[in-house]
Amino acid sequence: MRAMKKGLMSIVGVALLGTQLVACGNTNTANSANEPSNNTDKSEPAATETAAKPAEITWWNFPSFQALDGEVGKYEKEIIAAFNEKNPEIKVNLEMITFEGGPEKLNVAIASNTAPDVIYDAPGRIIDWGKKDLLAPLNDMVTDEVKNDISEAFWKQSSVGDETFMYPINTAPFMMAVNKTVFEKIGALDLLPLDKEDRTWTFEEYKKALEAVKEKAPDVIPTGFFAKSQAGDQGTRAYLANLGVSRFLNEDNSAVAINTDNAAKALDWIVQATKDKLSVSGAASLAAADVNDLFLQGKLAFTLNYSAVLKAQNVSKKMVEFEDVLLPFPTLDGSEPKLEPYLGGMAVFNNGDEAKITASKKLIDFIANDPVWGKKNLIQTGGLSVRNSITGLYDDAEYKYAEYARKFTTDAPTIADGYADIRTFWFPELQRALTGGATGKEALDSFAAKANEAITKAKAAMK
Amino acid sequence: MKKWGRTVGTTVRKIKGYVIRDWMMSYLFLVPAFGFFLLFVAYPMVKGVYISFFDYSLRDFSFIGLDNYISLIKDDNFRKSMGNTLLLVLITVPIVIIFSLFISMNIYKKKEFARSFFRGVFYLPAVSSVVSITVVWGWIYHPNYGILNYLTSFLGMEPISWLGDTRTALLAIIVVLITTSVGQPIILYVASIGNIPTSYIEAAEIDRATPWQIFRKILWPMLMPTNLYIIVITTINTFQCFALIQLLTSGGPVYSTSTVMYGVYEQAFMLGHFGYASAMGVILAIVIGIISIIQFKYFGSDVEY
Repeated sequence: MRAMKKGLMSIVGVALLGTQLVACGNTNTANSANEPSNNTDKSEPAATETAAKPAEITWWNFPSFQALDGEVGKYEKEIIAAFNEKNPEIKVNLEMITFEGGPEKLNVAIASNTAPDVIYDAPGRIIDWGKKDLLAPLNDMVTDEVKNDISEAFWKQSSVGDETFMYPINTAPFMMAVNKTVFEKIGALDLLPLDKEDRTWTFEEYKKALEAVKEKAPDVIPTGFFAKSQAGDQGTRAYLANLGVSRFLNEDNSAVAINTDNAAKALDWIVQATKDKLSVSGAASLAAADVNDLFLQGKLAFTLNYSAVLKAQNVSKKMVEFEDVLLPFPTLDGSEPKLEPYLGGMAVFNNGDEAKITASKKLIDFIANDPVWGKKNLIQTGGLSVRNSITGLYDDAEYKYAEYARKFTTDAPTIADGYADIRTFWFPELQRALTGGATGKEALDSFAAKANEAITKAKAAMK
Repeated sequence: MKKWGRTVGTTVRKIKGYVIRDWMMSYLFLVPAFGFFLLFVAYPMVKGVYISFFDYSLRDFSFIGLDNYISLIKDDNFRKSMGNTLLLVLITVPIVIIFSLFISMNIYKKKEFARSFFRGVFYLPAVSSVVSITVVWGWIYHPNYGILNYLTSFLGMEPISWLGDTRTALLAIIVVLITTSVGQPIILYVASIGNIPTSYIEAAEIDRATPWQIFRKILWPMLMPTNLYIIVITTINTFQCFALIQLLTSGGPVYSTSTVMYGVYEQAFMLGHFGYASAMGVILAIVIGIISIIQFKYFGSDVEY
């Protein structure tokens, strides 16, 4: 009997420990956070037209702007100070979050009814929140002039149905990059497509460039690949899709399209390239940041997850001096590449307080459209404007190319229903192929089956 | 106004006319700690069990009964994670016990300075930040520039992707887990061995007992309370291994290092499936509870010396 009591006490004791981790949410919050969104008056006047009301809002920001004087958040504080000169009645509390821990922090905040009022982020998360009725629609902010100045593809990424949930601000196509200095040193610059205006190239040309690095610069790893975690998955998606001339999802995002024979062959080639030391070894245990770090240390000739924004952000992280040049992904047949767009913009959480929503919209309007700060902010992101009318922000060959490469932009799968779940299936399947557990085709088919099921479930849940 | 007095074996004090006995005071002193326990331990636990019966995501909160548990049983990844977790425990706990006992047996006889030095050396990983240690091990295991591959290259071995190969990843995690887990057991064993009266060992030596016999018949039984504590704590810590996995492998490759605790984190904080994650937490707690009962049953004994 005593032993039984002891046992029961043990169970209770360990149960106390084991179940704490996930019990931090407020059960009422999910509902209460949602209810007000249904009450939102979509016919309210534009944020800028409403009378000034005192409000205190919280702005959570990923490091979307380059740090000023090496201090993260300093530039954002300058924005707020400038905003307050025009809107002294609105107090903005800034909280900087990181790309590593920020998403989890946001999930917990939303679930515990402590979400911020305004955020600068990308469609992957914002549209998911929009679909879950967590955000305030921004339709009243979108004037005809703005609507017509931004391409339909960006609006598609910023909206759920007719409701706009993200105010798009900056963009840049995701590409790959090459350490041009390495090719200069080995006398193989002619192997890169830099003499062509569009810099497009074929899979065969790319392989020749890799072979040259392997042969003439043995201390440098020709190219990279990564499959440890979700961050940077747009790089591996686009790499494989272009090498195999395949789309990642079909055009209406209702099913996976990457599991073609050509894409499977491309994945098999990546696995073989790893064995042949043309591609970094241990890709299954490397994250996108690890591979970019190798590139910034001058140890890698090509990196797969780059853009004009990342190029600007990486200037201070370079461990050795070299010239990094943007390149589109090579395609199997030399056809035009398809580049996923990076899109940054701002969203407002519907925390049930109209004054805060209105104040948040004013802040967004200031950041995006202020005659002085709008342009300044864009440059500080290192990105291009989503507005067709705003070009020539930078006097730099790489930016000019990034602007040019916008014509290769394809649909981003980030707005697909169930995207959050879809991306969790991607890396395990790449890992299966990389570790020899499956052929390229088996891995991609397995990914397609799981992802398609997630899409179907997500669509059903929305009805 | 206080009056002090003493009844049979009980101190009594009067505060504003109320008689307060010592045992009452004891409970009063416990109130703050118990309050914290209720607020930060018991309430989240009960709430965790409660929401495991709900579809609790960022948007929804609806009662679904046992659906989360049924889905978990059918979830291949959860089964794989549970298998990995049990494997981690089965391999790590005995090695930690044997390794720490072996080290302790060798250092407890040494002079105080040497004893402190070795205790410090082995305890250092236990007090260091898991993140720092993991970063160091990440460098050691790095597939291209890791020191481990550099060392094995002298043996003529090809570089191995220690964390990127399904055959070696869990092993690599186990090695790190062991190095970070032996510190505390060593401290406890050295203290416990020092408390065992030397006369028992001297008597055994006079009777020509071998070192192995002395260990098996005298030391091991007398260390049982310490063994029980170390086994239970190491088992629970191993079940709850999370930061190491997240930082070194993110559960990969192909879920080969995914544990239940990492799954809880992934489902709750990355995907926002709080109800499902709570159900995983409840199952993990039940498994730990059952194993703890077994451990108490087989290793629990009262020793006086």
